[in-house]
Amino acid sequence: MSIFTDADSVARQIGIAFVLAFLVVLIARYILLLWLGYLHHIESRGRARGDDYMVEPPVSIIVPVYNEEAVILPALRSLLSLRYSVVEIIVVDDGSVDRTLELVSSMVGRHGGTTLRVIAKSNGGKASALNTGIAQARHPYVLCMDGDSRLDPGTLRAAMRHFSDPRIGAVAGNVKVVNRDNVWTCLQALEYLEGLNMARRAQGFLRVVNIIPGPIGVFRRDVLRSVGGYDTDTFAEDADLTLKILTAGWHVAYEERAIAYTEAPHQFIDLVKQRYRWTRGILQALRKRTAWLVLPRRPLIWVSLIAMLFEAVLWPVMNVLGNLLFTVLALSAGAASGVIYWWVLLTMLDVAAALYAVGIEGEELRLVPYAVLYRFFFITMIDVAKLLATAEEALRVRMTWGKLERAGRI
Amino acid sequence: MRIDTLLSTIILVSFLVTILMAVGSYAAYKLREARRPRVEPAKPGEESRFFERILADDR
Repeated sequence: MSIFTDADSVARQIGIAFVLAFLVVLIARYILLLWLGYLHHIESRGRARGDDYMVEPPVSIIVPVYNEEAVILPALRSLLSLRYSVVEIIVVDDGSVDRTLELVSSMVGRHGGTTLRVIAKSNGGKASALNTGIAQARHPYVLCMDGDSRLDPGTLRAAMRHFSDPRIGAVAGNVKVVNRDNVWTCLQALEYLEGLNMARRAQGFLRVVNIIPGPIGVFRRDVLRSVGGYDTDTFAEDADLTLKILTAGWHVAYEERAIAYTEAPHQFIDLVKQRYRWTRGILQALRKRTAWLVLPRRPLIWVSLIAMLFEAVLWPVMNVLGNLLFTVLALSAGAASGVIYWWVLLTMLDVAAALYAVGIEGEELRLVPYAVLYRFFFITMIDVAKLLATAEEALRVRMTWGKLERAGRI
Repeated sequence: MRIDTLLSTIILVSFLVTILMAVGSYAAYKLREARRPRVEPAKPGEESRFFERILADDR
């Protein structure tokens, strides 16, 4: 009986240590992201003042499309209204079976300083479509985007400023959710601000952004070609390419004013599908760089890779287990009010972070109240999906590309 | 039952239900994917049956 009690006590002590570690990591993570993100924001505001004097090198925009009839026309119109002098748009149709090709073909030609071309190929996946476009690109800079995204008119001009630094190989843009019309999409809009963009902004200050998002990334064409373009052996070709560029020695910057609007999954089951692909794809991309993870060759790149692994696997485990353990431990110790304080404090932290993120991006204040649901409900569900996807990746369960159904809200 | 015990129990139950809902959604997603009809990818050198060639236009 005494042995059982001792074991029980040891388990409780381990639980308490884990909860304390979780709390320290949670606060340290927030402080680090907010601090580095704020430094990036100040730096970005200073740089924006020189915009009027910048030259505009010509840019090729690659738009891979596959069955995008619901969204392709607004996406192309957004490209034609970019405030930039010389642009070549290359739409690569990846074997669509709907009216995408017909719709794009109707817009082929010259539109002021912009030329629009279309290339049709048999279905080979997004990476193959992007590589086809990159091979055809005539200009020294290439913007890669998704066919279901829409760019802000100032996006290209804002992103191109970074290339005055010869060490910058690529620039990641700022992705925002456009269809904020139900709880799920509003929570995702908040997640993009408070989670994804905050991390990207912090990494941007150090020039080691580890995922250039699919909806908006600008590259030096020669860098893309020198690293061999997009690989087709992962399900997160954007993360994989970013890691290739970083490990080739290039810096990767983040530009908060290079905005791309994307349509977020409307239903939770589609969100699971998206995060399943992201998680497994990121782990596949990291597995290709095991040597870099194990043996730090360049400190900042190593930190960026570790941060990627942490956000993909370790943080979801800590988040779910830490909250569950604290609640169970406090209840079993008779400290019921502690559970309430715990969740109230975490929620206050998330609300504060949401206010900061909304304020820094000039976003809608109506997103802030969703922070109340954010950790308890939304992030827990996302984290569980990530953990299950991680388990499948560890077991090498076969997976296929799935395409999210779009409602054409961009 | 005291109010703080009641509230904390509700928090615990809600949290567990959230985790169960997440696992359920994941299972539903896997089931939906398994039921989806599969399209065999084109073999190397073979064009997709939906393929329609349009050459790059330089106008």
